[in-house]
Amino acid sequence: MSILWQEAMLEAFRETTLRIAHVLPKLLALLTFLALGLAIGWLVKFFFLRVLRAVHFDVLCERFGLGSSLAKAGTKQLASHLVGRLSFWLVFLLFAFMGIDALDLTATANMMSAIIGFLPHMLAAVLLLFFGVLLANFIAEAALIATVNAQIQEARTIATFIRWGVLIFTVAMVLTQLGIAKEIVVAAFSITFGGFVLALAIAVGLGGQSIAKEVLEQRFRRRTVEQDEMSHI
Amino acid sequence: MTMTKTVWPLVRQQLGDKGKIEVLVGIPTFNNAKTVGPVVNAVKAGISKVCPHASVLVVNADAGSQDGTPETIKQAVGPDIPAAFVQHLAGDFLPSPISLHTFSESGVPGREHAFRAFFTVAEELQVNACVVVDANLRSLAPDWMEILLRPVMEKSVDYVAPLFRRARYEGSLTNCIIYPLSRALYGKQMRYQSGCGYGFSGKLASLYLTKNVWEGEGTRYGIDSWLTTVAVAEGCEVSQGYLGTKIHDATLPGIELSVLLAQAVGALFYLMETYQDVWEGKTGSSPVPRFGPPYEPGPEGGAINVERMVRGFQQGLRDLLPIWEIILAPETLDGILSLGLVETEEFRFPLALWVQTIYDFALAYHEKALHREHLLKSLTPLYLGRTASLILETREGAPEDVERAIETLCGTFESMKPYLTQRWRFS
Repeated sequence: MSILWQEAMLEAFRETTLRIAHVLPKLLALLTFLALGLAIGWLVKFFFLRVLRAVHFDVLCERFGLGSSLAKAGTKQLASHLVGRLSFWLVFLLFAFMGIDALDLTATANMMSAIIGFLPHMLAAVLLLFFGVLLANFIAEAALIATVNAQIQEARTIATFIRWGVLIFTVAMVLTQLGIAKEIVVAAFSITFGGFVLALAIAVGLGGQSIAKEVLEQRFRRRTVEQDEMSHI
Repeated sequence: MTMTKTVWPLVRQQLGDKGKIEVLVGIPTFNNAKTVGPVVNAVKAGISKVCPHASVLVVNADAGSQDGTPETIKQAVGPDIPAAFVQHLAGDFLPSPISLHTFSESGVPGREHAFRAFFTVAEELQVNACVVVDANLRSLAPDWMEILLRPVMEKSVDYVAPLFRRARYEGSLTNCIIYPLSRALYGKQMRYQSGCGYGFSGKLASLYLTKNVWEGEGTRYGIDSWLTTVAVAEGCEVSQGYLGTKIHDATLPGIELSVLLAQAVGALFYLMETYQDVWEGKTGSSPVPRFGPPYEPGPEGGAINVERMVRGFQQGLRDLLPIWEIILAPETLDGILSLGLVETEEFRFPLALWVQTIYDFALAYHEKALHREHLLKSLTPLYLGRTASLILETREGAPEDVERAIETLCGTFESMKPYLTQRWRFS
């Protein structure tokens, strides 16, 4: 009886020790990866901040109106700091996933390969979003200045329409890139955009025919009446 | 291959061995067959009076005319005077697409490339003087050569800029911004009128070729916008010539004011970066020699809709405020905001505030606070405000009152220059 008890105890101890010996290096690997992620993430962030500062990235973003867009979105940070933080978290998460993968858990078996496969789409989507916002601000600003100089009273409305048009187009592209409800996004965008253009065409062509005629006549007549006989240069 | 390398072999081939050439006459053209004949005849008559024994070469840089302009020139020049023909927008000379968007009253696309061809030939031939006249002129008389050429040939002048008799408020952009700002910067009282006719020394023609204005950002601004500034900033002997009233065939449809403003003011701001060392230390200004018979201030011009100008300013104030907030200093913006509620008849844009506004725009351009084209174009409503104010201040007075107002503005620009220099250093 006591021999059996002894053997059972030893067996349990041996197995637990073996399991711990098996898991401990993996846990250590996880911790090492997390530490590496923190260190390398910080280095990458530092590197990005230096490079972006050297190329006057914040001034560039301000010039293209990204700074004001960030402020409107409630972010008080500089664009370069945002990129720095993003790069830190990207690197850290990458190492964290490596660490989780090192644990060799059944639940996370294919996680790493799935994440690595998704990473290019993610980066492309971030870039698309970044340039989309820049483009939207730039074109809207150009349209606002042009319409104000042409003394069109609806200048701000036109500029807002243009900004949101480009932004919606960008978001649709980003979602398609990420593969999120791809078909729905494409269909929704096509229906909305097509519907908007069709509605506009019908409104102007049928309902607002006389108004459109009047507006055009007024505009051209006003131009001829209001143009100064004066050379500015 | 660059234009400077390709244009000379082409001209040399047409010229053969003609010996020393003393005067080069450059004529940039684009479908000017109707007017170019009388222009060439007037130039020939003028040169024969000013320097009858000088050897002359006529160079035509054409932008691809379809109406036989080069043939008309050939016929008008005749067999006695050598002539060379280049197509400045063809083959190896093709400029960057950006430069084709620049405005020119002459209606010649890529006009700066025509000038570059003239200067290249002038340098190769080591000419004494170079005269460039527009082919769409109706008012060009033989006397023009007396004014544009003689100072260069006989008085060692490097540059003769045109000075026209203009209606009361004509050239308001030049009078409100270009002239006072350039005068305050470089200390020379050049009126900065441009186009139609210029006289250059051979030395200045060569100097222009070495400047960084032919490629890159410089090409965004038409050549007429920077010819005078470069000559003044380089310390050349500059002068102005009274050429009477300018009458020319308009070959271009109406150019949008904001585009005009962006080109003219942009050229000035662009060159402020290049010539920072020159203008920073300059104070006050001195007159430059003027040639030709002077004339009284111009007559009343056509109808001017001041109310529309004030409306343009007010709309700018309403819609462009977020952009102006980036460009203007807070105290300047406060001053401008207070103008928003004034009725048209009472509308006045104070001189000091206007000068501060222009200096703030120059600083913002220097700091690249905004996309530069947007920045320049957003100045348009403010310019309309200042022009409206000038008209409202002087329309009941005599024509001389406008000149006096411009002189006062120039004085304010000069006295407030420290506002610019101090901020420029720390930006």
